Amino acid sequence: MTFERRMSEDGEPAIHRVPLPRGAVPHVRTGSQVRPDQVLASRREVGDPVRISLTRPLARRPSEVAELLLVTPGARLDPDQPIARGADGREVRSPGHAIFLTYSEIDGSALLVLLGSETPVIGHVHGTVLQVTRGFISVAVPGARLEGVGGTGDAVHGELAVAVHTHDEELRAGAIDVSAAGKILIGGSRASAETLTRARAMGVAGIVLGGILDKELRDFTAIQRRRREIGGMTGSFAVVLLEGFGKVALDAQLFSWLRAHAGRMASLFGEEHLLYVHEAASPPLRSLMAEIGDRVVIHRRPFQGRSGVLVGVLDDLHETPSGIPAVTGVVRLEDGRLAPIPLVNLEATIAPSRH
Amino acid sequence: MSDHEPMLTAAAKAERAAPHPTAEISLLMDVGSAWTKASVVGRTRGRWRIVAHAAQPTRWGEKALVDVLTERMREAVDHRLRDEVPAILEGAARITCHTPIRPGRLGVAAVTAEVSGSAARTAAESAGWVVVEEAAADDGRSLPERLSSLTAADVDAWLVVGGFDDARPEQALEAAALVAAARRGGRTPVIWAGSAALTDEVAACFEPGVVASIPNPRPDASTEDLAPLRHHLEELLDRLVESGGTRNLAPIGFRRTIGEIAREDRLRVVGVDLGARYATWAFADGTVDPVTVESRVYAAGGMGSPSLATTSAIGRLARSLALPVDELAVADTLQNMRARPASLPYSEEELQVVHAAARLRLAALAEERMPDSVDLLIGSGRVLAAAPTPMRAMRILLDGLRPLGVTQIVLDGAGVLSPLGSLPDDEIAEGIAVLRDDLLVPLGTTVVTRGGRSGQLAIRARLHLVGWPEPQTIEVRAGQVVVMPLPRGERAELDLELEGGATLPAPRRTHHLRAEVTGGSVGLVLDARDAPLLLPRRLDDRREVIAGWLETLLREPVPGRPREVARERETVRRGLRRFRVGRDTQGQEAEDTTTEDDTDTDDGGEQDS
Repeated sequence: MTFERRMSEDGEPAIHRVPLPRGAVPHVRTGSQVRPDQVLASRREVGDPVRISLTRPLARRPSEVAELLLVTPGARLDPDQPIARGADGREVRSPGHAIFLTYSEIDGSALLVLLGSETPVIGHVHGTVLQVTRGFISVAVPGARLEGVGGTGDAVHGELAVAVHTHDEELRAGAIDVSAAGKILIGGSRASAETLTRARAMGVAGIVLGGILDKELRDFTAIQRRRREIGGMTGSFAVVLLEGFGKVALDAQLFSWLRAHAGRMASLFGEEHLLYVHEAASPPLRSLMAEIGDRVVIHRRPFQGRSGVLVGVLDDLHETPSGIPAVTGVVRLEDGRLAPIPLVNLEATIAPSRH
Repeated sequence: MSDHEPMLTAAAKAERAAPHPTAEISLLMDVGSAWTKASVVGRTRGRWRIVAHAAQPTRWGEKALVDVLTERMREAVDHRLRDEVPAILEGAARITCHTPIRPGRLGVAAVTAEVSGSAARTAAESAGWVVVEEAAADDGRSLPERLSSLTAADVDAWLVVGGFDDARPEQALEAAALVAAARRGGRTPVIWAGSAALTDEVAACFEPGVVASIPNPRPDASTEDLAPLRHHLEELLDRLVESGGTRNLAPIGFRRTIGEIAREDRLRVVGVDLGARYATWAFADGTVDPVTVESRVYAAGGMGSPSLATTSAIGRLARSLALPVDELAVADTLQNMRARPASLPYSEEELQVVHAAARLRLAALAEERMPDSVDLLIGSGRVLAAAPTPMRAMRILLDGLRPLGVTQIVLDGAGVLSPLGSLPDDEIAEGIAVLRDDLLVPLGTTVVTRGGRSGQLAIRARLHLVGWPEPQTIEVRAGQVVVMPLPRGERAELDLELEGGATLPAPRRTHHLRAEVTGGSVGLVLDARDAPLLLPRRLDDRREVIAGWLETLLREPVPGRPREVARERETVRRGLRRFRVGRDTQGQEAEDTTTEDDTDTDDGGEQDS
């Protein structure tokens, strides 16, 4: 998880950008209030290509038609829009919403790609629209925004639910049942590809984890891609990791915060590694520069995901076990033991009350 | 005590009477995507030196960096100036460069993935662009699929390529039409670098003035000339992404300084800068007039490159380690390195994974690009500068790039080459001259041969050291690497005899060679391991060989005796290093953990997993 100070410091909402594919038509305006399931824009999906003969209707040879074209390659066509017109008034019209691609002088045909029915662009967040452009709609989201370090999948939203008992517990497939359908589950230190597959099959909207083995995330992503390619996969699903790759526990403080917000609406963006918890209090902050007395989370093995308190910083550079000399802090781990850790491998976690 | 008083008084008076010292300093800063490197250059005893240096995560901010520099400056300056150090630093002339804020994003539409598409990708990626979407008529996707993917791409520019100059393939027009459809107007520029015969027709697909026509990089089946396209892409990137000028960009500055070093010393110089996101390769030939400089900038070619996260790269990496680290751990380590590029490898296993990744990136960077022989190889980037020992840095360069022939290897340890390159043209040489003593850290000289018959003699070398009556004779068998201590600042004559089919590159393709070699913190490395490195197929054998090389390279040198592969070496350290943490006082505890024996498993041992 990385540092996000703005929301917590001055209470300003987080800003989320909903990307708009080219050609999308926005349905909201600046100042509009939007819900997570609201259609913010719509666009026509690219459909099948078709070839239309231009020579026969225009009664011309293929070499004569090029100069009669009324549209240029790439042009969007409305239904019945003329594509070419002869001097005698004969016309060839578009069979529907389409894109004109090319004209072939070999056979005198035009290559069109038909555009299908309109498909919605859903924002998955609630808040106030700040800006609408050709490329995106930005929404001010009243809530907390957590940035993860990895993830996969789509944009989803759902009720936040906790599926493990402790911050360092692994999320097991058996912990997921039908009651989790449509929810965003908080897992612990890891979930296997099998668990993710089962979660998806049970209709879970998304999973938030401390860590996951990169191999399992890659396997799961590959399975999803293959299923999508062969068709038949419905619904969206996202996974976001907040701490790191491998078996990495969620920070206990953060886990408590997430648990306290169970039942709230949340939005998860797998590819962007983002989690929004709507109408939520400030989450524990992360600061990359820890100071003595700070509660810290360690980011490299063998202590990855462990937390403690930074009790001192060594005067001179200290050699890590890898041999790299580094400015080193001494961390008192939660079990009371001490460990020297390079400061660059630490992140301070600041409880909401101390913001 | 009273006897001393008059003297003290006199000293104090003299000090008061002396003019107050002044400090003339400059601050060189390279703000990278993960680390910021800063060096204070000041005049000391009549010479310009780097008097303080600091490197820290960029996200820690400038104040923290200045605080560290202040502390280090206080130790270096005249004691009368100690209180003034913050003000001196504040007023120092700054020479700053930075990693580009973001790479240019390019969408490519091509006729064929393997010919025009591949050429376009190569040109774009070496000019600092990232190809975010590529569609080719033969990429196996249907027309609607290709159009959908192009439509969904978020790009800064479009590149349309395809068709030889004497042809008019319909697929090329189709590619242009796909881009026109996906682009839907707007200001996004379009580059046409395809068949010259189709230029007008392609331009007609777009609004007037949108298309820039560039000479076809593949004008016929046997020719490939990417230079005009690459040059145009570089210019476009400067205009679109870094509108404030490019001289302050680290990759540009690096290239300029490499060129100047080659010009000054009349050398053939290769420089590689391996950053967290970017990787820059520059080759400058100072032996020709005018000096030629070429470079490649890979926006996603650094240590965080997505190419390291592929299954094949992870497997290759795991097989190149001396320690038995499984692929799962390798993959997680690489991903954590990408997620937190400013963090440091904590354990030996992590270090080996990171260094193996660096070697892999360098190998990709040098692929088909490493000149046959270079005089000077300069390594830059945090992974090299922060290597625990000079030999580790040398190994990354040596194994990653395999510089054939006799090459002096140096490090840009303070990260000053890129900031120096951001100076105006006429000042770069001056900056290099001023900092000559501190600019580069010499690691030593390498002799890398190609070929040779396994186990047979490949190199017979005689090293003539000044002050040594008899030359030292070293024999190196094919597959072996030997290190001779040759301290920094020392020069020696090296007689080489190549045996058993081992060769050096032209123009030194000869069996006898005499060369002057320069010392460094590593020394002289005689490397008969072939290029590229030849490794056994079986994993255990391969690991044994790699561990043997590593052990040879990392063993402390004994003056006058070469380090060479031990026939009966110790068992490779297997398993994972353990760290001990305890409950005693913190300072003592910190010391304990670093002197921990690898196999120690006592109280509270925590195993890396």
